[in-house]
Amino acid sequence: MKKKVISLVLSAAMIASLLAGCGGAAVESAPATDVQEVAEAVQEEAPAPEPEAAAEEVTEEAAEPVTLKWAIWDESTTQYWGDIKAAYEAKNPNVTIEMVDLGSTDYMTVLATELSGSGSDFDVVTIKDVPGYATLVQKNAIIPLDDYISADGVDLSKYAGATDQVVVDGKLYELPFRNDFWVLFYNKDIFDAANVDYPTNDMTWAEYDELARKVTDTSFGSQIYGAHYHTWRSTVQLCSVLDGKHTILDGEYDFMRPYYEMVLNQEADGVCRKYTDLKTEGLHYSAAFSGGDVAMLNMGSWFIATMLTNLASGEYDPSLCGNWGIVKYPHAEGVEPGSTLGTITGLSVTSACDTPDAAWDFVKWVSGEEGAAVMASSGNFPAIMTDEVKTAITGLEGFPADDASKEALNVANLYLEVPYGENVSEINSILDSYHGSIMTGEMSIDDGLAAMSQEVSALLK
Amino acid sequence: MEKIKETQGSGQINILQDALKTTIEKVRDEKDEKTKRKLIRQIERYNNRIDMLRSGRRISRQTRKNLVAYSFIAPNFIGFCVFTLIPIVFAFALAFMNWDGSNPVSFEGFNNFKRLASDTFFKAALKNTIIYCVGTVPLTMIASLALAIVLNQKVIGRGIFRTIAFFPYVASLVAITSVWKMLFHPSKGPVNNILFTFFHIPQDALPQWFSGSLCVISMILFSVWKYMGYYMVIYLAGLQGISKELYEAASLDGAGTWNQFRYITWPQLSATTFFVVVMLTINCFKVYDVAVMLAGGGSGELTVSATVLVYYIYQKAFIDWDLGYSSAVAMVLFLMVLIVTIIQFRGQARKEA
Repeated sequence: MKKKVISLVLSAAMIASLLAGCGGAAVESAPATDVQEVAEAVQEEAPAPEPEAAAEEVTEEAAEPVTLKWAIWDESTTQYWGDIKAAYEAKNPNVTIEMVDLGSTDYMTVLATELSGSGSDFDVVTIKDVPGYATLVQKNAIIPLDDYISADGVDLSKYAGATDQVVVDGKLYELPFRNDFWVLFYNKDIFDAANVDYPTNDMTWAEYDELARKVTDTSFGSQIYGAHYHTWRSTVQLCSVLDGKHTILDGEYDFMRPYYEMVLNQEADGVCRKYTDLKTEGLHYSAAFSGGDVAMLNMGSWFIATMLTNLASGEYDPSLCGNWGIVKYPHAEGVEPGSTLGTITGLSVTSACDTPDAAWDFVKWVSGEEGAAVMASSGNFPAIMTDEVKTAITGLEGFPADDASKEALNVANLYLEVPYGENVSEINSILDSYHGSIMTGEMSIDDGLAAMSQEVSALLK
Repeated sequence: MEKIKETQGSGQINILQDALKTTIEKVRDEKDEKTKRKLIRQIERYNNRIDMLRSGRRISRQTRKNLVAYSFIAPNFIGFCVFTLIPIVFAFALAFMNWDGSNPVSFEGFNNFKRLASDTFFKAALKNTIIYCVGTVPLTMIASLALAIVLNQKVIGRGIFRTIAFFPYVASLVAITSVWKMLFHPSKGPVNNILFTFFHIPQDALPQWFSGSLCVISMILFSVWKYMGYYMVIYLAGLQGISKELYEAASLDGAGTWNQFRYITWPQLSATTFFVVVMLTINCFKVYDVAVMLAGGGSGELTVSATVLVYYIYQKAFIDWDLGYSSAVAMVLFLMVLIVTIIQFRGQARKEA
């Protein structure tokens, strides 16, 4: 009996000390403001001296050192993080940017864990995808930027509608600094060998399918795949949202049927590698394309930078894939060519940030014109696409010289792979799961789409 | 003043001693164990009080001794509290709440559990986990027992064979799943190649080892192969604990190999089997790594045919940040393991009785 009492007391004492630990910060901050207030009062009371002193104070304030802790991924393999840090610090000598690398595989999960509770000390975080963004918004981990945007007069039209697709209840919580859009990569050597015309910037999906079948060679030992679809859901399913009439948040997914049919028929006829094979061996799309047996690959514009660097460094064999080009994404019948999928990478200010003004200044700079120039210098696509940026990228060493490839960079309509919506994270999980079921043949296309519609509409109710 | 206090003290002591005497007498007559124990505790308390009054100390000697003892336990106990006890209690409480890790917690009652009934993914995960357990536990047990019996004989190269059987358990899961994926690759793997060339199974009908309903079977086969070595070692220890005389006596009575196994080995191993089955069941319900590595592909996402409970708990908690709901799923898992273990304990107790 007594032992029980004492153990209870012990645990109670522990909980109390825990609570005390949590409460400590709040208590501490109170005297701090007192001191500040006193200091201000003293300053006010002091006879206002010469304007000289005032000026001194201003410079002192400007030079006050600020450290911004910034969450990123893959620092060692991605050049632009360091470039941005260097350029911003050069311009703002009082600011130190401290980068924390959380790794790319589960970046948004790790970040959400870091920002849970009140112990976080990140000031600026990079937003990798929209489901993760939705999670952070719902957790109140990041702050709306609208007041800053209107105060500083940031023109959102520069982002070509991308920011409209991540507005949450009328508020915007991130500004994009990188914007990748999907294009069609193709291997010119394969088309030359098959004596088939290159893909063009104005192709419908039916024409694309026909072209893929034309260059396919199924004879054993010298297989040529007309197309390649990476195991991501985007590569197949999201071709269907490019008509601008549907989104993945609809809750009714029958509109995806033609694209699943096209890809699964291609699989059956040996036009592309099988999904189950790709899943089992974990073949990366870059390895598939650089292997020289894939004629066309639908992929994001980030792959351009990969191709350029790896061909230059000799990691990819130029005789296999050195003669490449890009064209605009194929489009649905009756839709303007150049409609494509996009993925934005944005920056947000955390709600735990002590110096939100300094953090906002950094966010604004990176997502603005100056940041865009830094991004373009390493072959990446900034969120603001200007003609200079395009010239900078098409002028890079190794970029395909034909005009079609240059023209391919002009985007008519950009649809985010995942626009913001309530429950977008759950919807994404559901769609991913059934995408896998359809592609592996566990479910027929009908059953899979019906299951998607049923599960998601239950969630939307 | 002092004197009055002293007399008061001695008066109290007298009263207490009288009470003590009567209780001691009561204890002697008392037959019911429970009340007896209660009375003995009462006596202890009286003794302590008297002791305190006599010595004039605030804290009795006994209490002080106890406090010293508790202070020795405290460091360990505090660690246990912070890292085990509080999280467990919190996880139980969370199952009845709605929380995303940042916003205020709200009480949900049984809503989380009600949601389970209509959740396709949960039901799929539950089904797959149960199939996996039902397949893995008996198969692993049989395989490891058979291995143990064979490798307990005096065969040539016994040590080498034991090492070979134990090797999969030691090898890294990631490495061996890669090898399995190559072996069972749906279109390039040697297994399907053999099926195609020697058994003339048409290309379309070749098994897709890592998708559809075959996926769980692949997982079962893999687990049996990986873990049988470990349980073989446990069975070997059990076999070596059986006295040789039993076998001698049985063979004198004319018992064959099968009868020896049936009437000596198996009953003698019952304690080992019990341990093996409990450990296997718990480990099977916890399955996560095998499923993600074999069926997750590059992204680690599991489809309806491969998802398991622990994966779903992780997904709900750290991808969707629905901590309350994910705790509810965890409670289901906990209850399942608890029920199975209780049944096994009961069965074992009956056997021993």
